[in-house]
Amino acid sequence: MSRVVLRFAYRVLLRLHPASFQDEFGSEMLWIYDQECQRGGAAYLLLDGAISLLRQHCKVQSDPGQVSIASGAVITGPGIGPVRFLQAGITFSVMFFGLMRLFGQPNALTVSVKWADRMPCYTVTLEAPSHAEVVLQSTP
Amino acid sequence: MASKVTSNPPLSAATLHILLALAGGNLHGYGIIKEVAFNSEGHYKLGPGTLYDNLKKLMDAGLVADARKSVSTKDDDRRFYTLTREGRHALAAEVDRLQSVVSKARLRLQETKAGRA
Repeated sequence: MSRVVLRFAYRVLLRLHPASFQDEFGSEMLWIYDQECQRGGAAYLLLDGAISLLRQHCKVQSDPGQVSIASGAVITGPGIGPVRFLQAGITFSVMFFGLMRLFGQPNALTVSVKWADRMPCYTVTLEAPSHAEVVLQSTP
Repeated sequence: MASKVTSNPPLSAATLHILLALAGGNLHGYGIIKEVAFNSEGHYKLGPGTLYDNLKKLMDAGLVADARKSVSTKDDDRRFYTLTREGRHALAAEVDRLQSVVSKARLRLQETKAGRA
C-alpha cells in the first residue's frame, strides 16, 4: 500500500515539473523510479525528485523568457508564477509529513516562535529516526 | 566551441560522472545511473532527478546529444545518449584540471611530511 502511495507522490512531483522537462524526461524518470524502487530507497528518490523540481522552477524563474514589444506592450515569456511554487511547497510538505507518519515519526518537525527584543526567534527541531535531535535555531 | 569549453568553470561531480559514463559508449538514462555507481564503486549515487537535470544542461551546452539507434539498440524504446566531440574535449579538460590539482596536493603533502620530519 505504502509503495503505491509513494509512487503516486513521485508522479505528482513529476507533474509539477515544467511541462517541457516533463514531456522530455518524465516517463524515463518514472521508469527509473520503478526500477530503483524494487531495490528500496523510495525516500531518496522522492527527495531527489523534489530537489529536481526546485531546480527546474528556479531555472525557469531565472530565465526571463522571450521579451517582445508589440504596440507598446511588453510580453514576457513562459515564466512560472508563485502559484506553481506554492503547489510545490504544499506537495513537499504533505509528502514530508506523510513519510514521517509512515515511518512512525508523526512529530518529526516542530517549529516554535518566541519574541526576543521585538524580533522573532525561530526554533526548528528535526527529530531523526534514531531519536537524535537536530536543532536549528535563529538568533535575533 | 572549443574556446567555450576550455573557459568553462570546473564541472560539478554529477556532470563529471555523467560525461565519464558516456565516454565508455552510448547509454540510456538508467544505464548512466548504473555506470556511475559502478565507476564510483557505489560511493556516488545519482538519482533520476539529478541525472536528467544535468543531462538537459549538457544537451543544451552541446556536450551530450541523442544517440542514433544502433543494431543492438534498435528494438529498445529507451532514449540513448552519446558524448559529442565537445563533450569529450570538456571531459579531457576536466581530467587535466583534476590531474594538476592532484599533483599539487601530492606535492603539498610531501612538503608537509618533510617539514614534520
